[in-house]
Amino acid sequence: MNSVLEINSSLKSLVHEFETRMDQASSLRDLEEARVAFLGRKGKLAKIMSAIPGLDSSERPLAGKTANQVKTELTRLLEDKKNELERLAAFRLDPRFDPSLPGRIPDMGSIHPVTRVIQDICSIFTGLGFDIVTGPEVETDFYNFEALNLPPGHPARDMQDTLYITESLVLRTHTSPMQIRTMEKRTPPVAAIAPGKVYRRDSDLTHTPMFHQIEGFLVDEQVSMADLRGTLTAFAQRIFDPGVKVRFRPSFFPFTEPSAEVDISCVMCEGRGRHRDDISCRVCKETGWVEVLGCGMIDPEVFLQVGYDPEKYTGFAFGLGVERVAMLKYGINDLRMFFENDLKFLNQFA
Amino acid sequence: MLLSLSWLRDFTPYEGSVDDLAHRLTMVGLEVEEIVRPFDHLSDLVAGRVVERKAHPGADKLSLCTVDIGGSENLDIVCGAPNVAAGQYVAVALDGTTLPGGQVIGNTQIRGVLSQGMICSEAELELGPDSSGIMVLSGTPAPGSRLDHALGLERNVLDIGVTPNRPDCLSVFGLAREVAAIFNLPLNKPVFSLQEDTSRDCPAELEIVIDDPDGCPLYQARLISGCTIKPSPDWMRYRLLSVGVRPINNIVDTTNYVMFELGHPLHAFDYSLLKGSRIRVARATPGSRFTTLDNEERKLNEGDLLIWDDQKPVALAGVMGGANTEISEHSTDVLLECAVFDSLSIRRTARRLGLHSESSFRFERGVDQAGAPFALNRAAQLMSEYGPGQVAKGVAFSEPKPHVPVSINFRRSRANSLLALDVDLDYCRQIFSSLGCEVDGEDDLLRVTAPSFRPDLTREVDLFEEIGRIYGLDRTPEHLPKVQKSLHQEEVDRKHAFEDSIKQWARGLGLQEVINYSFTGMSDLDLLNIPAQGRVRVFNPLSEDQDVLRLHLIPGILQTLRNNLGQGNSRLRLFEVARSFEQDSGSETGVRENTRLALLLHGPRHRGHWPFAEEDTDFYDLKGLAEHLLERFAKFPGKFVMFDNHPYLEPCVMCSLLDYKLGFLGRVRPQMARAYKARKEVWFADLDLDQLQNIHSDILPVFQSLPKYPVVKRDMNVIAPLELKYALIREVVDQAGISILEDVSLVDIYYPQDKPEKKLTLRFTYRHQERTLQDHEVDQVQQELAELLTQKLPVGFP
Ligand SMILES: [Zn+2]
Repeated sequence: MNSVLEINSSLKSLVHEFETRMDQASSLRDLEEARVAFLGRKGKLAKIMSAIPGLDSSERPLAGKTANQVKTELTRLLEDKKNELERLAAFRLDPRFDPSLPGRIPDMGSIHPVTRVIQDICSIFTGLGFDIVTGPEVETDFYNFEALNLPPGHPARDMQDTLYITESLVLRTHTSPMQIRTMEKRTPPVAAIAPGKVYRRDSDLTHTPMFHQIEGFLVDEQVSMADLRGTLTAFAQRIFDPGVKVRFRPSFFPFTEPSAEVDISCVMCEGRGRHRDDISCRVCKETGWVEVLGCGMIDPEVFLQVGYDPEKYTGFAFGLGVERVAMLKYGINDLRMFFENDLKFLNQFA
Repeated sequence: MLLSLSWLRDFTPYEGSVDDLAHRLTMVGLEVEEIVRPFDHLSDLVAGRVVERKAHPGADKLSLCTVDIGGSENLDIVCGAPNVAAGQYVAVALDGTTLPGGQVIGNTQIRGVLSQGMICSEAELELGPDSSGIMVLSGTPAPGSRLDHALGLERNVLDIGVTPNRPDCLSVFGLAREVAAIFNLPLNKPVFSLQEDTSRDCPAELEIVIDDPDGCPLYQARLISGCTIKPSPDWMRYRLLSVGVRPINNIVDTTNYVMFELGHPLHAFDYSLLKGSRIRVARATPGSRFTTLDNEERKLNEGDLLIWDDQKPVALAGVMGGANTEISEHSTDVLLECAVFDSLSIRRTARRLGLHSESSFRFERGVDQAGAPFALNRAAQLMSEYGPGQVAKGVAFSEPKPHVPVSINFRRSRANSLLALDVDLDYCRQIFSSLGCEVDGEDDLLRVTAPSFRPDLTREVDLFEEIGRIYGLDRTPEHLPKVQKSLHQEEVDRKHAFEDSIKQWARGLGLQEVINYSFTGMSDLDLLNIPAQGRVRVFNPLSEDQDVLRLHLIPGILQTLRNNLGQGNSRLRLFEVARSFEQDSGSETGVRENTRLALLLHGPRHRGHWPFAEEDTDFYDLKGLAEHLLERFAKFPGKFVMFDNHPYLEPCVMCSLLDYKLGFLGRVRPQMARAYKARKEVWFADLDLDQLQNIHSDILPVFQSLPKYPVVKRDMNVIAPLELKYALIREVVDQAGISILEDVSLVDIYYPQDKPEKKLTLRFTYRHQERTLQDHEVDQVQQELAELLTQKLPVGFP
């Protein structure tokens, strides 16, 4: 077996033999055994190749080349078979494997619906260039009332039943003090929103003694009612529905003049006052409108309080109740649920 | 304010629909909250004619009536009233009708005779006090027609929410003025002629003395003599009923009627009970007592304004009259008061005494001083007609502070720029005139004099509002502003953004956000042993369980725990971001507000199903959250040390970071947890977010080159007594100053059953920054560390 022909023929038959072996192999272990037997240090290929140095020097390169081709071929066959087996293994499953069993689901966290609505509203206004500002919940009478054109004894103080800490200290009844606090610190143009907790001495089906408001205000030269209307209409359509209708009803707040309340077409009955099945809509009391916020052009008295020139600057302000928006947006029908924190409620806002 | 539609039409010829009126009023700022049908409860009753009256065969006092109600057959109705007679028109309740009092009328046998309904008295229909007999209708209504129509009862009453700046709209006439302005209709003042009785001279009989001109700028009175106290005429009673006022008698009803009609509160005294010839307006003697019309004795202070005769106080000015001079059935001579009182003073008195009347409500908001004489004459005229009485000549009055009209400059161009309108001067002029202002001037500038019934018009911007209101704010243009900002930010408030990122963090870890009230009960704080010092009390709480602000977040979140346990939700992983409140004289408001994060874990660690094991949460779950929080927001590991005598946590661990105390974590003391219905362990943490935000905002990531050489890891088993804290081992290792030691971690703890000790497996990670470490170097360092540990601590090695 020392001729180059013999070597070549045994190399060839080695390929056939390996192919057969590969066909028969059914596991990675079979493959490993085949690899050792054929390609290993003491394997069949090595044995054949050990005869090459005994050849005539003119025959050696050819034999060497053929041997290398065979080695490449065997390696390829081995790899192919290995890939095939692995592919098969992936399908041939452990009988215990059951994809219908539950997985290890991490816990589902949730954000309170009030926070969700605050985030939605804040992102709309920060997108328009408003800053978010914060301030104290226990507020002085000055910031909560007096600076907002609500001197002691003003009948409008009756509009908000107040929880007092002392004679001159209250739980803020609205987020409007943030107008004063912010304007005191900045010079126009000022555009800010102030979300937060507010408190009223009121508790029944439609009132909780604590709830959340968002105050927004913009002060600059040449700000007009049109800016207020444009901003709030766009806002209502963003937060509720692009098709929602908005109306501005004149109203009264001591710190805005003119003042308005903003109604949107009822999201429950689409402004018709009655549901499709002709049942009367309780959300809008059949009016087709629901009140969502109060607003107005900032009263010159407020500007005087913070040292702005009311002849030079004008501005608008608005305040909206977060729970009210959440109730309309998510169809929540009981205000008290917000503060009972029942998991079955919270889970719906995961 | 309740507005009767037919009453409104006395003053302006509005012929449109009630719905349109409601809409338009709403859109000028007079929000119609409801359209009331005040006599809806009478809508089933009909008018009938008594055709024949016979005696009841089985009872002397009963009559058997044949009543025509317009049907093909007459009804037989048994009636017990003495005044029933053939030919009368009467109010009939048919089978199935419910009376206002709730009684349901049916066909019933009365003493053996079938009665097919009931003939009603005024009292049964709640139309008047008379229950002595049946109500006999005037005129000849068609039998079978609706009773409310036959009586001319008001069908539509608008319930209008009048804002506190608009006292002028607390009257039918004031609202008629608005309606006339909106619909461009004429406005007609009540027309009447007052006949005076020249035989008596009121100002000659009575002097008015005002001691407190600020409290009472105007007091006027008229004398009406020879009245007979009796029910007022039907139309007046029905109008008062339609706006929810209970009729009393012709004199009192007249004062109420004129108050609703013109907005001016009036008061009627029994003149015979007034002593002397002088009416004085003066403050009360502090501590004195006065019995009001409702027979309540009121304790007064020096702020209360009183009306006095020569001997005694006779009325609590503007709030309520006195029992001592009340109109009674024996009264004949009436002194009619129409005055103006200071709104602040009335408000203080009414609030303090909890005595809110239609009268005080109007005085608090401001009454029309210039219109007061007209209101007085109107009431006097009605009393002369329906008293009927003689109105003595003249008015006794004193007006120490006459109304001074306010004139305001109005720039049309500024109105247009604020409202984004383009209205012309004539339009503005017309609006102001229709609202009762006097207007003067031209070009861009008007001089507008506000009427005395509009105390809210004092500045130019108030006039802008009137233009916008009547034009319709809803019709003004819309435009999106371009928010101008400067890059030179004066101050950036990152508090909200930080709180938001904490909430997102917690949500991502599978915690659920809760929001609880900021207040709690003193008893809850006591129950939790929270010190009394620093508590912020609510001065006028709604209830005892809301009388103090949360000093710690725990009471609220335990409340949530209790709610959920009650609902059968026992696996709770909750968080709350809220403020705690503590008295602090150094704070701007005297109350320090600190934003904190509360974490609460209760029940199973995992969702209750395979492939998770069923185990309850423990301290390490809670601590892990705290550590995760610090890793995420502070980049420094915190320090956790035992803390004794915490008010409500046991065990309690204090968490600090650098030199800052961040808060506490631990288990709620079981007896306290039980008070909130928790039987399992409640793990709770309360951490200072303001402090964490300060640390967080100082952190700027600094890049470090990635290591070039590989790490070598070595485990070490350490046997330690059970009570030896892991932190001590770490301290020895950390302080050994081994430069190549990159990390130490605890990979396992084993507690042998037979010995009071624990076996800790520590994993040391070594790396050299400039070369690959050799095995023997690391072995040597491990050896040195082991020796150091045995020197410093009672530990050993297996
Ligand atoms: Zn609706």
